[in-house]
Amino acid sequence: MIELSQVSKQFGDETAVDAINLKVAKGKFCALVGTSGCGKSTTLRMINRLIERSSGDILLDGQPIEAYDPVKLRRRIGYVIQSTGLFPHWTVARNIGLVPRLLKWSADDIQARVGELMSLLGLPLEEFAHKYPHQLSGGQAQRVGVARALAADPDILLMDEPFGALDPITRIKLQDELAALQARLHKTVVFVTHDMDEALKLADHLVVMREGQIVQQGTPLSLLQRPVDAFVESLLGGLERGLKQAALSRVKDHMSSLGPTLPSQYRIAADCSLRQALSVMLRDHADRLTVVDQHDVPIGELSLRRIVKEAQLEKGTSRDA
Amino acid sequence: MSLLDALPTPRLERGSYPNVVLVSLSAVMLAAIWGLDAVSMAPNRIVQGAGAGVMEALGWPGALLASLLVLALGTLAFRPNPTNYSAALGVVVLILALMPFGLMVAGHFLIDPALPQARLGIGAGYWVVLFVLLLCLIELRLRLALTRLWPMLILAGVGLLWWLCAWLWLGDLALVQEYRARDQQLIRAVGQHVVLVGVAVSISVVLGTLLALLMRRYARLQKGAFAVLNFLQTIPSLALFGLLLAPLAWLSANVPVLAELGVSGIGNTPALIALVAYSLLPMVRNTYIALEEVSADTLEAASAMGMRASQRFWQVRLPLALPVLLEGVRITTVQAIGLTAVAALIGAGGLGTFIFQGLGQAAMDMVLLGALPILILALMVDAALSALTEVLRPGGVQ
Repeated sequence: MIELSQVSKQFGDETAVDAINLKVAKGKFCALVGTSGCGKSTTLRMINRLIERSSGDILLDGQPIEAYDPVKLRRRIGYVIQSTGLFPHWTVARNIGLVPRLLKWSADDIQARVGELMSLLGLPLEEFAHKYPHQLSGGQAQRVGVARALAADPDILLMDEPFGALDPITRIKLQDELAALQARLHKTVVFVTHDMDEALKLADHLVVMREGQIVQQGTPLSLLQRPVDAFVESLLGGLERGLKQAALSRVKDHMSSLGPTLPSQYRIAADCSLRQALSVMLRDHADRLTVVDQHDVPIGELSLRRIVKEAQLEKGTSRDA
Repeated sequence: MSLLDALPTPRLERGSYPNVVLVSLSAVMLAAIWGLDAVSMAPNRIVQGAGAGVMEALGWPGALLASLLVLALGTLAFRPNPTNYSAALGVVVLILALMPFGLMVAGHFLIDPALPQARLGIGAGYWVVLFVLLLCLIELRLRLALTRLWPMLILAGVGLLWWLCAWLWLGDLALVQEYRARDQQLIRAVGQHVVLVGVAVSISVVLGTLLALLMRRYARLQKGAFAVLNFLQTIPSLALFGLLLAPLAWLSANVPVLAELGVSGIGNTPALIALVAYSLLPMVRNTYIALEEVSADTLEAASAMGMRASQRFWQVRLPLALPVLLEGVRITTVQAIGLTAVAALIGAGGLGTFIFQGLGQAAMDMVLLGALPILILALMVDAALSALTEVLRPGGVQ
């Protein structure tokens, strides 16, 4: 668990981070979002003491971070950056094995761990272990970066725009893989990005920052439903907010059982997002879709009218609250 | 060679454009063969030699063979493709290998056996052809995308052949006669030269690295240190040797310990001091830049992974800086090899002795006897350190 209270950082006269309070529960994925220079990266680096804060308290598992030797602290915290920061003179295997080596694991343990991580991140050992970073594509290099961060099995993972330099297709692929990885490993993650879609897709807890302050924080859904001001609303996509919200829920949570009416000829998988379902409706000019499971067997129906009615109901209850 | 290595490697083009470089070089060689003196002939060591053209030196079959080989090279260059380039490389190597035999033929034609002191000098035409052939070799290496090892192997083979010919059959050659008169001296001089350069470079590597590290720690030191080193570099070498003469002579006269250690106004001590002074600038500059230019992201990642400052320096900063650092060692060493020649003037010995004695006696072949080993030493060091630098870049990282 990570806890920041009243944390500030000044660089000379500039205030980069201004009295922020933030709690990230164990095993949760927290995304810091904001425009460039809003203090999100500074916040991240204060957690592993690459930057020392000016005031306030940072607690890890209830202990103030001063209680730890900064070097030992960093060996317990995985760190991934946009430029990968891989060591160009070391092979992939050596890069991944760095922290275990610093922790003086035995050679056999290191080798086993490197093999395990490479298969976890889809890097075949024989093909990649002896390559150098400059022989990798951007996506492969960032996979190695993530593997290196996970090498000593840290509880906490700090990621600073890890996918920012990748092409859109690779980026989405790595986001999906990271989401799957997180579902298995349950690390406590603090993730910095300026890409709101990325944040909405991955985060349990979303933090919007501006000029060193936290403007709003909460679950992605709560931010989408009630942005606190125009800035947050514009970050969340303005008029497209409805679709972004739809992207957060699954088709299976909105379907109704197959009725007596003729099922629609257009199909959608139950695991797709509501946003994808709406897109299919627009593309195929259909206001009803048949929901199918992974074996293509119909299990329910999704109707536009029902979705709208649900949304009206939800709005009604939220107004009452 | 290093200057030419810095040029971009041109891609092998399959177009039918003639290779202008090789065609022009062939034309220069033809002009040199027919326009300049191939060799010179002198009845004894002191008398100025009389020049002889290619017809006198090689006779018409030799002149024809030389011209045909060069023409073949030019013709091959008119249709550039990998096969023709390989053939051209063969022709270049063949000409290089035949050149000492040409000297034998010239000796046979021109040297009167009745004059035991008569000697054969290598003429301007010969030197020009040799130089142009080396240029051809570099051009062909780039076109054929060969590694640096290949020209080294070829030159080593050709050098061995030349050495054998000189040893066995070229007794008429002035250079060989000069060598035979002083072979022990020459070997000793090469030893002195290598030791002087080795000690001076070792001292400046240690001092230079220390200075660069200090400059990184204390930023204020940087400006002052570079100003002093730049100033040292501008003093002419001869003047620096002269400037050191008086204070060192005084020191050795007044401090007996130093005198016992061999410090004196002339000899090795001032030579070493001057060589180190000149070597420091390239050494410090390259070390400093090498250490500073390691990517900040990589270094930050090293810290973030939990490396201690010392681990970060030894495992990340230094290995990544090493290729640029070695570049500094290479520049320093090649420069020191040349400068050490001047140190002969203040009695430090080395190959410079031959150059200055030869100049004094107006015996140009003796000058050559001193200058050629300096050239070969510099080329060997250059090649060896370049190769080491390449090895230290894993997988060709820049």
